[in-house]
Amino acid sequence: MQNKETPSPAGVTAAGPEAAAPGARPWWLGIAVIILGCICLYATTTLPATAQYAAIGPGMFVTIAGGGLLLLGILLLIQIARGERFEAQDTENATGNLPMDKRAFFTALAATIVPALTMEALGLPITAMLSFTLVARAFGSNKTIIDLITGAILGSVCWFLFSRLGLQLGGFLPLAGF
Amino acid sequence: MDTFGLLLQGFDVALQPMNLFWALVGSVLGTAIGILPGIGPALTIALLLPVTVSVGPVSAFIMFAGVLYGAMYGGSTTSILINTPGEAGSMMTALEGNKMARSGRGAAALATAAVGSFVAGTIATVLLTFAAPSIAELAFYFKPADYFALTVLAFTSVAVVMGTSRVRGFISLFIGLAFGVIGIDKMTGQPRMTFGVSSLLDGMELTVVLVSLFAIGEIIYVASRYRHQNDDIMPIKGGLWMTKDDWKRSFMPWLRGTAIGFPMGALPGGGSEIPTMLSYTLEKKLCKRKEEFGTVGAIEGVAGPEAANNAAAAGVLVPLLTLGLPTSATAAILLAAFQNFGLQPGPFLFTSNPELIWGLIASLYVGNVMLLILNLPLVGIWVKLLLIPKPQLYAGILVFAMIGIWGVSGSTFDLACMVAVGLMGYVMRVYDFPIAPILIGLILGPMAENQLRTALAAAQGNPAILVETPISIVILTVSALFLLVPVVLRRLRKAA
Repeated sequence: MQNKETPSPAGVTAAGPEAAAPGARPWWLGIAVIILGCICLYATTTLPATAQYAAIGPGMFVTIAGGGLLLLGILLLIQIARGERFEAQDTENATGNLPMDKRAFFTALAATIVPALTMEALGLPITAMLSFTLVARAFGSNKTIIDLITGAILGSVCWFLFSRLGLQLGGFLPLAGF
Repeated sequence: MDTFGLLLQGFDVALQPMNLFWALVGSVLGTAIGILPGIGPALTIALLLPVTVSVGPVSAFIMFAGVLYGAMYGGSTTSILINTPGEAGSMMTALEGNKMARSGRGAAALATAAVGSFVAGTIATVLLTFAAPSIAELAFYFKPADYFALTVLAFTSVAVVMGTSRVRGFISLFIGLAFGVIGIDKMTGQPRMTFGVSSLLDGMELTVVLVSLFAIGEIIYVASRYRHQNDDIMPIKGGLWMTKDDWKRSFMPWLRGTAIGFPMGALPGGGSEIPTMLSYTLEKKLCKRKEEFGTVGAIEGVAGPEAANNAAAAGVLVPLLTLGLPTSATAAILLAAFQNFGLQPGPFLFTSNPELIWGLIASLYVGNVMLLILNLPLVGIWVKLLLIPKPQLYAGILVFAMIGIWGVSGSTFDLACMVAVGLMGYVMRVYDFPIAPILIGLILGPMAENQLRTALAAAQGNPAILVETPISIVILTVSALFLLVPVVLRRLRKAA
């Protein structure tokens, strides 16, 4: 496995040849693509044939998309069977060949799930406060109180600013009734 | 009226105080996001889209032009001073630029990048000014089959050129196409792929997909593989301006970079990566002081690629404005912006909405001047942006992303999509799938479908109609070449 140090500066040099491929044979990727294709093809069966004209109907393009995904999924499986390498992308502040930090991953994921759960009920400022703190924590910040305050301020300022610019952002604090 | 007269009218629009103000806002925002990591021009324009509904299309596009050009100026600043190219187009700048900064010539590198961007941006805008109307004129003769062939060309080139693997590029593209068919079919009124979910009847919003892929996917990905390392910012040394020798050495690379960048940017699949790389290689070959490359940093290696990068960005606007054909993620979101205002870019826009088109083109000139002023003397202030701590910076990006998505239609369903598509963006980064083809597929898919069905319906379903005009034959052949040439080349190389 890799150690935590990365000698290469961000993104400029590609990952070394010893870069750890995430999961040597990711069969599930190909299967996921095939499933997506099948969903598209299944969706065409529910379309009425009456809307067609000379075999050109609303289902034609869906069939093309679904068939394409099905075929590409099979091709991807063949590539995986032949030992295709998948190297995680290098971007700013991230190095592809670092091992995945599961805790940070799930914390960041939780931060993105929060809005769907709380936006309607608790409003933007509180949602922003929670998500902000979770992301900061995923990136290693341990100043929770300060992050909570920063997130709440950022959320409130944005709410006022963007509302004035004409965005519908829901109530400021729906719990309190406004 | 001739092009020149129309352009003067455009300046009339661009120089109105309100529009100048929006150009300034766009330039400042663009420079800022170019410097900050994790946020690029496409994402910024997507986040600004809902806000611009109240300002009107002309001002909105003038602001977007500022963002587009500003992001490149900002990107070169970080490449030179901390060796982190924010986007593919500034990767080459980082090579020599950072070496120059390390050997105490950072100021000259920044100056040649800024002036080079200005020169290239201005020349490319002139080329755009004169090329666009004639291409738009040509497009009047296009039949539905020709338009369909064009979209096929955009699809294949994007899927082949972007990313490392053709299969993965096409998977991205087809996922985009599948997203594109969700919702009510415009020709028959049938709901498609909605599976009874009423929120899907209106289709997948490009803003939601783009923000989720670019912001959410990036945040989760960077968090999971975060490099705890402080960027080491090079102090700006060597006076603020270039010496006479620097000017002499930069001048030709600027022009050559522009000559490479503009046409390649205008071609589907050209992007900014290939022209900057070509320009870098060319300058390295032509340079008289080869020993400076890779050691103390050669100014030619900054001047050429920077010019190519800016010229390519202007080139991308040619197919977008004249044919309505986006060839990059940023162009895709600009197309969505046009559609948001009920406009369809293409030949008809030049006649139906000259104020908008020429105002936009004129504002590209204005924006370039503004950016030069903003970036050269003020670079010391811009660099301060890098002092924002990374945890809070990425946390802030998430807050803006959720506002962008929530602001589109205030739907919790969109926020749930944000998680799902964001996770997909994460997986795509881990397994190296290109992201732009999804966006191109999503925005161009419905157009391709529309043209295909119109063409086929006119021919009673006979697919031969697709290859009946010389234009469509040529374009489809080129698309096929995009697909086949790499394979043939690889076979030949193996055989040799």
